[in-house]
Amino acid sequence: MPGDAIVAEELTYRYGELVAVDHISFNVAEGEILGFLGPNGAGKTTTVKMLTGQLKPKEGKAVLLGMDVGSNVEKVQGQIGVCFEETNLYEQMSAAENLKLFARLFGIKGFDANVLLKRVDLAGRENDRVEGYSKGMKQRLMVARSLVNRPRVLFLDEPTAGLDPASAEAIRGIILEERERGATVFLTTHDILEADKLSDRVAFMNQGKIVALDTPHNLKQQYGKRALKAKVATSSGGLEDREVIMDTPQTPEAVNELFTREKVVTIHSEEASLEDIFIEITGRGLQG
Amino acid sequence: MNLRIIGAFISKDLSLFFRNRFFASMTVLGIIVYIAIYFVMPKQVDETLQIGLYTQATLPFFEQVQEEGLTLQAVDSEEALKEGVVEGEYVAGVVLPADILESFMSGQKPRISVYFASDAPPEIKESVESIIRELAFLQAGQVLPIEVTEEILGPDMLGKQIPPRDRMRPLFAVLLLIVETMGLANLLSQEVERGTIRAVLVTPMSVIDLFAAKGAVGVGLAFIQSVLFIAVVGGMNTQPLIILVALLLGAVLVTGIGFLIAALGKDMMSVMAWGIMIFVLLSIPSFGVAFPGTVTDWIKAVPSYYLVDTIHRAANFGSGWGDIWYNLLILLGFDIAFFWIGIIVLRRKFR
Repeated sequence: MPGDAIVAEELTYRYGELVAVDHISFNVAEGEILGFLGPNGAGKTTTVKMLTGQLKPKEGKAVLLGMDVGSNVEKVQGQIGVCFEETNLYEQMSAAENLKLFARLFGIKGFDANVLLKRVDLAGRENDRVEGYSKGMKQRLMVARSLVNRPRVLFLDEPTAGLDPASAEAIRGIILEERERGATVFLTTHDILEADKLSDRVAFMNQGKIVALDTPHNLKQQYGKRALKAKVATSSGGLEDREVIMDTPQTPEAVNELFTREKVVTIHSEEASLEDIFIEITGRGLQG
Repeated sequence: MNLRIIGAFISKDLSLFFRNRFFASMTVLGIIVYIAIYFVMPKQVDETLQIGLYTQATLPFFEQVQEEGLTLQAVDSEEALKEGVVEGEYVAGVVLPADILESFMSGQKPRISVYFASDAPPEIKESVESIIRELAFLQAGQVLPIEVTEEILGPDMLGKQIPPRDRMRPLFAVLLLIVETMGLANLLSQEVERGTIRAVLVTPMSVIDLFAAKGAVGVGLAFIQSVLFIAVVGGMNTQPLIILVALLLGAVLVTGIGFLIAALGKDMMSVMAWGIMIFVLLSIPSFGVAFPGTVTDWIKAVPSYYLVDTIHRAANFGSGWGDIWYNLLILLGFDIAFFWIGIIVLRRKFR
């Protein structure tokens, strides 16, 4: 039974009068991928800053790998990898130099940058200055940099934002590989499908509070509704949409009625998305 | 503090500093150009004697003592005369009493005051006395007894007149130090604006390690350059230890100021804009040394004054620890203040 890699206890942070993070508590098990979702300004970045030792909580505490972050910042930071949303690489240096610098900061001896660069498909460009890279290449290098110390906890902030589908899929592959290796992944994203696909559990954050935290399946069970979506032919020769809500006592009768009284042209089932659930819970969208 | 991490970061910063063509060029060219300027400047002093004269008496013959290499300039008041001497306009100022003629006539010894610039050569003293006697002779037609009282204005450096190029040494040293400040500030502001500082601070590198590394790069680059310059232009020939300590304190001062500029600037242009403003301010005390009389006492509020004054006095007049310890102490105070404020302000920016 794995222990908890991340424990947040009543974490709180205020910027003056504004409460950015309001007494949140949660835990993430070792080897788990937690999708951290919420609109802009919900407090996600502030939470990550407190978990990674960049900000000192005003109240509460964060414990990573059994260590209190506040009193063991450098030890904790030696065990984590952070991939930021904004590109923050040394652009006048090459990819290999960037990785080697961070390997030296982590005190890694005999570091071979090429292994990581190959993994993010940057082999062959290792000696080019980063300023000449495309956004996708820079993003892949950011992910590689967060893996330099083989972190036990990996914080990824929008790791696939703005990437082409192939690059995004490659990054998702790396995230899953890291989980296989035993790393815990704290994934902050706006990409609902990505969170749904990768996360063992997702946390919804809104206005500084965690409003829901569970597996995507359980959230859908609890808050979402499944439906049958059909297109039926009308007497004038056109098409109209019909929807039958599932999992209710009236569902069998409604389905029966649909097929006996209407001329069904197409039909498919539809499951609620995590965004639908977020809207259901908070009354607002995730992109806000 | 983790020396391994600091070492890695210093090595990265030096590499990036010299990859910036502008600052790399400024670093190399700065030394070459200032050394070249130093050596093409005259190493001889101007031997023309410009003497100020204040008297309420009517002396129709005084123009007759004007000769080659000597100029007598009448001034309106004793205060103006003193000011002229302090500002280097005259190597000496002579005050003849209003009743000089009556004194001569009655056989008394008139008392004549002479003010000397602090760095006037010793020959001036004798020359000025001769001139006064000549004046008296021209007036009375015979050799008359006179009493001359001398006063040195400013620190007594009589007999230690220095060539213009040696006066310029502190200015060049300060300019070299300040250019390095802008290089450091640019590196730092880039780190903050591009967010790389956040990336390194989620590794085991602490804020203390970060400032230690940045400080070492700033102090190191500024110190090495200024020492190299001063050594090549002969500024280490007297009191080398004092010069080294002064330059080290100067390098720490400009590094602290570099932290401040980095906090104010957002990119290379804004760093340059702020840097040039501070550059001008810090250079002013050097002009006071290079061109005596061009500035007044307010320059003592400019931190670089204590660096410039120390270099000037130690390198040009051989002043020892006892003469300038307070300069170094004040400089150290400014170092601590600027370094501390710089760190606080910069830390707030990237938090």
